[in-house]
This record gives sequence, structure tokens and C-alpha cells, in this order.
Amino acid sequence: MYSVSASHAIGLIGGLIALPLALVGLRFHPRRRSVPGTVQAAAALMAVTGGVHLALIPHHLDSEPFTSALFLLNGVAFITLAASFTWRWWRLSSSALLLATVLGYLIYVGIGLEGPDQVGIATKLVEVTALGLVLVPVHGEHAAHRGWRHAAIGVAMPLLIVISGATVWIVDLARPDARHVHAGALLQATNTIPTPAQVDAANHLYAETMAAITPYQNWRQAWAAGYRPGGSTSLPSTHWMNQRYVDAGYVMDPHRPQGLVYANTHHGPVLLGAMFQMKSLNRFGPDPGGPMTAWHQHENICFTPFGFEFSLMTPYATCPIGAIDISAPPMLHVWIVDNPHGGPFAVDIDPSVVAALDRT
Amino acid sequence: MNAPGSTSRPEIAYVLLMVQAVLWMVAGLSALPFVLGGEIHMLGLGLATLLLALFVCLVGIGILWRRRWARRVAIWLEALCVIGSVLLFLLPIGANHGPVAVITNVVLPSALIWLLWGSKTRAVFA
Repeated sequence: MYSVSASHAIGLIGGLIALPLALVGLRFHPRRRSVPGTVQAAAALMAVTGGVHLALIPHHLDSEPFTSALFLLNGVAFITLAASFTWRWWRLSSSALLLATVLGYLIYVGIGLEGPDQVGIATKLVEVTALGLVLVPVHGEHAAHRGWRHAAIGVAMPLLIVISGATVWIVDLARPDARHVHAGALLQATNTIPTPAQVDAANHLYAETMAAITPYQNWRQAWAAGYRPGGSTSLPSTHWMNQRYVDAGYVMDPHRPQGLVYANTHHGPVLLGAMFQMKSLNRFGPDPGGPMTAWHQHENICFTPFGFEFSLMTPYATCPIGAIDISAPPMLHVWIVDNPHGGPFAVDIDPSVVAALDRT
Repeated sequence: MNAPGSTSRPEIAYVLLMVQAVLWMVAGLSALPFVLGGEIHMLGLGLATLLLALFVCLVGIGILWRRRWARRVAIWLEALCVIGSVLLFLLPIGANHGPVAVITNVVLPSALIWLLWGSKTRAVFA
């Protein structure tokens, strides 16, 4: 959802090529001045989305001939309508085409025929904006159905944007690709099945880390060693970070893990495990256990300094005000408590484990 | 034929502001589920973002009605958006640089400033 699919990248180029061509075409259109600027802007945006659809055809032709045919129909229809903006039925036809295209995309994404990506979301934003421009009555214009058109803008645009965002988000979370887990965390690329040597190395790392952090089961010792809560302690668990170890950049040193994870129970912090963290983005650490000890990097998270809290960036690349979009450098957890749903190196701890600790 | 001196820039700006308001609304709503997980500050941020969305919507209506205050507020608001977004793009914090981020955080606010800027456009606002 947050990246550009390789097969769709060409669509961006198609849209970018279509834009200047559309502007030049508009500039020299003999009846340009007979329509308001909103119509001209909508025509330009429709030419862009037409360019995107046409550019996508070659990459889909062999594997998805039906989709390619739809792209061709859509692209030609958009370009034709973009060029014939003085036609009497232009608004009605354009609205219908834009609406059908957005809904068609959502059906395609919903049933898994297409994966949500940046090109798709960007194109839908362009189409919804074009729909608004097609519908909006202009000041002083003798417009038919003025009230209905305003009502359509007030209802259709928000609905389409919210439904598109929700569909794309749900599909992305429900059907992540192989390297994305836990609400968008990017996993390190590894082999699929661990070799016996990798299993031994993972077991060794686990034993060494567990022995090294056992003293920190007493949180006061962790505090004395320089670990401090890195977020709200009202959450089920909190990462305690050692800024000295973070700055030093120790790489997967069981005796100097950058973070410790504590469950916030009613009888105080209970140690769940350690967290190794790399110093910079996109540099995954050593991976002795292969798929068992794959690092992960949290991307597109909205971070707020108020309470050091996180939420997820929306598919439209927006965060709540007061939060900014960041990525966290690659990390690897070692859970010293039983983690039945993911094992000792899982991206996250099973929430039921934390809840059980709180009850005991 | 368009009347001489008429412009539909305010209507285009209105549509873009409506799109932006809905995007803010989605951002505000997206924060609320995290409140259930114990992130209490997200409630404040989510509600503040929803209020901002409503405000942007009202500014859009003000632009449509050719109100001078709405034009001024919109230009300042969008300038803040552009500055903030450019900073996010330049800082090495791993912010998303994809086409959607560029469209929503840079192109859309920049287009609004371009649409509302200039003495000719200013002249149509009461």
C-alpha cells in the first residue's frame, strides 16, 4: 500500500506524460473559453487518469488480458471525454465514468485481483478530485440542478474517499505480502526454511540473551543500567530504551541490548524480553538464525511526542495533527517469556501473554 | 462564454479544500482506534484533527462564497502544510516519499496557494 508496485510504476509515467499533453491540448482548443476553469481542470485530470490506465496495458496484457481490455476501454473513454468537454452530456458521462472507475478499482482490490499500491491510490485521488470539479457549479453560471450538484459533492466525494481508504487499508492489513507483518512492519529478506546451523545459532542467541538480561527482571537494575521507559506506561507493554547503547550502535550484543520490553502489570513492570536495534534506517542486522531471527523495520508510523504514542499513517499519507510520519530503524526482539503465537523472536508479543501476566 | 474577468479559481479551490478536509477527517478517525489500546493522547490528536477537517471545510465554503478572510486563512494554512511537508521530506526520519504523500502533502496545498494567489484572484473576493 505504501510502495509503488513494479508493474504499476509505468502508470505514473503515463500520467505524467498525459498532463502536459492535456494542458497543451486545452490551450489550443478552439472552444476553451466557452467552459469554466473547473471543467478544464477536470478534463486535464481525466486525461491524466486516462494516461495512467493506457500505460498499464503492456504490463498486464499477457497475464491479465481481461484487465488489460478494461484498462484500454477506461483509458480511451477518459481521453475522449477529456477532449470533448463542450459536449452537452459531458458532466453526466464524466461523473458516471469516474464513479464506475473508482468503484471498479475497489471491487478489484476487494476480491484480490489487484494489490493496493501508491499508483492505484494516487489515481483514485485524482479521479475523486476530477469528479468534484465536474460537479461543482460555477459562480454566475446558469447551472441546472445546482443544489443536487452541491449535495453530490458533499456526499459522493467524502464517501468515495472514506470507502476507498477503508477498503485499501483493510485489504492491506488482511492480506499483507510475504515481507509485511504486524501492521506494516517490513521483514528482513531471508531463506524460507532454517538450516540446522541456523537453528543452533538462534538457540545460542536466545540462551545468551536470556542469561544476560535475567538481572533486569528487577526493573530497578535496568534503571540503574540506564534503561528508561520509551513511551506511556499506561499501555500493556513499554519498551525501555538505553540511549547510551543506542548511540554506541552495538550490533546484536546480548549484554548490551538497546531496549528491554516490560509488561505494565498491576504489580509493576514484568520483563518480557530484549530488543536489539540498528542505528540507521534500512540497514538490517546480522541474521544468524535465518528466518527465525529476521529483523523488522516499522515504516509509515505516525509518532507524536505527546506521550510518545504511535498510530498508523493512513493510505492517503496523512497523520493526525501533532504526529509525524517516521520509520524506526530495524529491530529484533528476543522474548524470554513463552510466546505461543510467534516464538522467541516474533515481531510482537502475544497480547494474551501480557494479559495473563497482569492477572497473576 | 465566460463573462470577462470571471474566474472559477475559487470553485476549483473549494473542491481541493473539500478533498483535503476529507483526508484530514480520515487521519483524525484513524487515530481513534489506538485510544482503545491505551494511547490516550491519540484521543486529543484525533479530535483536534477532526476539528481541523471541519475548519478546512468551512474555509472551503468561505472560498466558494468569495470571502476575503477565507482566502487569507487558506493561503496561510496551505503554506504551513507545504513548509511542514517539505521539512518531513528533507529530514532523515524515514517519512514516506511516495506519490500519494507528494500529492496530498505538497501538490494539493501548493496548487491551492497558486489558485488563490495574485491580485486578479484577490479582486474577486469581497
